[in-house]
Amino acid sequence: MQLRIHLTAIAALTLALAGASHAADLPPGTQLHPTQTFVRSNGSEPESMDPAVAETVPANQILRDLFEGLTATDTTGKTVPGVAESWKQTNPTTWVFKLRTNAKFSNGDPIVAEDFVYGIRRFVDPKTASPYAATFGVFLLNGLEVAQGKKPPTELGVKALDKYTLEIKTQDPVLFLPELVANTQLGPVHKATVEKWGKDWVKPGNMVGNGAFVLKDWQVNNRIVVEKNPQYWDAANVRLTKVTYLPIEDQFADIKLWESGETDYVYQMPPGVFDKYKAQYPKELRNQAIIGVRYYDYQTKDPAFKDVRVRKALSMVIDREILSKRVTADGQPPAYSLIVNGVVGADPTPYEWSTWPMDKKVAEAKKLLEQAGVKPGTKYSFSYNTSEYHKKMAVFVASEWKTKLGIIMETETMEFKVLAKKRHDGSFQIARNGWLADYNDATTFLALVRCDSDQNTNFHCNREAEALIQKGNPLTDPAKRKTLLTQASKMILDDYPIIPLVQYSLPRLIKSYVGGYSELNPQDHYRSKDFYIIKH
Amino acid sequence: MWTYTLRRVFAAIPTVLVVITVCYLLLHATPGGPFDSDRKVSAAVLANLEAKYHLDLPLWQQYLLYLKGLLQGDLGASFRYADWSVNDLVAAALPVSLSIGGIAMVISVLVGVSLGIFAALRQNSVIDHFVMLLGNVGSAVPSFVLGPVMIIIFAIALKWLPAGGWHDFEFRFMILPIALLTIINVSTIGRVMRGSLIEVMHSNFIRTARAKGLPTRVVVLRHALKPALLPVVSVLGPLAISSITAALVTETVFSLPGLGKLIVNGAGNRDYTLVLGLVVLITVLTVTLNLLVDLAYAWLDPKIRY
Repeated sequence: MQLRIHLTAIAALTLALAGASHAADLPPGTQLHPTQTFVRSNGSEPESMDPAVAETVPANQILRDLFEGLTATDTTGKTVPGVAESWKQTNPTTWVFKLRTNAKFSNGDPIVAEDFVYGIRRFVDPKTASPYAATFGVFLLNGLEVAQGKKPPTELGVKALDKYTLEIKTQDPVLFLPELVANTQLGPVHKATVEKWGKDWVKPGNMVGNGAFVLKDWQVNNRIVVEKNPQYWDAANVRLTKVTYLPIEDQFADIKLWESGETDYVYQMPPGVFDKYKAQYPKELRNQAIIGVRYYDYQTKDPAFKDVRVRKALSMVIDREILSKRVTADGQPPAYSLIVNGVVGADPTPYEWSTWPMDKKVAEAKKLLEQAGVKPGTKYSFSYNTSEYHKKMAVFVASEWKTKLGIIMETETMEFKVLAKKRHDGSFQIARNGWLADYNDATTFLALVRCDSDQNTNFHCNREAEALIQKGNPLTDPAKRKTLLTQASKMILDDYPIIPLVQYSLPRLIKSYVGGYSELNPQDHYRSKDFYIIKH
Repeated sequence: MWTYTLRRVFAAIPTVLVVITVCYLLLHATPGGPFDSDRKVSAAVLANLEAKYHLDLPLWQQYLLYLKGLLQGDLGASFRYADWSVNDLVAAALPVSLSIGGIAMVISVLVGVSLGIFAALRQNSVIDHFVMLLGNVGSAVPSFVLGPVMIIIFAIALKWLPAGGWHDFEFRFMILPIALLTIINVSTIGRVMRGSLIEVMHSNFIRTARAKGLPTRVVVLRHALKPALLPVVSVLGPLAISSITAALVTETVFSLPGLGKLIVNGAGNRDYTLVLGLVVLITVLTVTLNLLVDLAYAWLDPKIRY
């Protein structure tokens, strides 16, 4: 019933943006530099250039240049047409995408709906062993069963209705499907190339992509060079002719290369230098909050944390303002909620005590601990992976608990892989954690605290909230859905399974002659297509 | 000498095998596997990944499969860098490390030995104090301080050289890393050479040579140099290994795609095959360099015969 009422609303949302081009819109009076080349640091070496297999931010950053999905993200983070020029939701679980007829692969072959069918099936097929297969696959009809190997990939809800029309059926209504299909994992793949070269299809010379750029050179651990793709449907609006990606892991080396003029773009600033560089390069230091949250997990099955009063007291007394301004000191905003600013599908639900004066918080926390029978001098163990950043935060939190509540935090540091396993196994008391949204919807965050979720590493489950999520998630009315998901998020957060600390942000140095960077892209999904070099 | 060399080469085989076995077991005993991450992958995906890298087999079978590949010169597929084999990764990193580390070693030996000789012959003079200062600075100031200081001076302030990176053996990108490694190595070689030559110069056979009225140049070059070089040669082996395969700080500071970074990242990522491949490479290099050092002993010291 609910679904039928809103079908009209959905029809109204139908987009028809035929032929629109969404590349870098130059501000009036902008003069372009004669050489449009761009050198950017990209953090670390990508683990793969196969869009189905890639997992990390650096890999996906390059893949957004080499491949394009049905839709794409513009510089402000808005979903714009990609290979699909228009789309509509024909019923709550069915979407039809109309492909543009002038879209081609980099070898000149036209892109047809079957290329998407092949690419998406290949991605979800467990034989491809994609780490994201279930994360995105779960939204498609039969996606989870296919990812789990229980059904063949041909059962997946993707179908070519004709040469240029693709139908995607979802398991439940997915309001944000157009945003989701901007991910290159769900993009077209040139079947003949994959079959010809096997795993070497992603090497320069072999790769056939469909993005605004083509892979020219790949020296592992040294550089990846991409050049403008003349076959790209919107090539006329692509200004850069060459982009060089450098895998620079050391953040200080990254800054030095930028200062010496070797690069135009720093991947991310190290902690503790924000103010110094802000004073030195006020115009070049750009900072944007992105949808991700740094938090600590309680192992709620541990007897020490069974009592919600203990979990609440410990969370209350951490001064996020000082943590953000003085400790991490890199422009990351304080977080009092799992859902952070900028997330679509639910509102942040900051704790009511977040605005209390610290004295009041400490008094309340002491009372809670006393009621729970926790005495000063109680020890808890805290696990984190070795990193200066995490250490700084841990030392601060430990001192907050020690000085305000007399609680002793014994820290245990380890390699990331060890921590990841400990968290999934639940063999910790409190553990460092962090999450960057896989797609812009509240559900990517709720997965961290939902019952029976693989990503829930605090092992807490609020059945009532889970029922609300299950009720709200499939709704096609965005406002109603948002209300229910926000309510569920608040209910879970009031159980204190996690301690939200700060929202992620990306402070980076960018040369003033690089145009097209907006500071408004909540997932940092910039494409080189939107960048240009101003005359300097 | 040839029989000795051949004997040493054969003796190296069990050494390499023991190193591989111990590393193999250690790697697999370390907690956290190659596919542990923030995102827990589904059981079906994990099963496929494990099958791809033979992790579904018992450990001894995996080990034998690895050895079989190794005998055929195949170091396996990298766990982390899915598109590359370990052979590809080593082939890309080895020339970088060999050229930076190798050139730095040659320069270090020439400069270090010369400075050591001058300092020893002019003990307690200005040049001696300078060499000792250089030696102490090179040893005391860590390369992660010295490297960035060099970048600030030569790349950012003076803009003479690039701050880092690697462009197909273009020499200007190699100067700063080579200089950094050279400063570190010269400080060791210079100090060892100085101490050793001072000691040799006080020995009886030098006094005899002097008594025969030979000029200092001949006394030093013909009589004192060879025995004084023995301790220097002893430190050269480990120094060369660390300059070529473990120049992690230099590679990080100058963003070089060398072996040191590969092995540290490989260990962190639990890239079993990559780490083992590099361990094999480093073991072979170490064994070879140790053999060369031993052969050099025989040339330097007539008392040593193989």
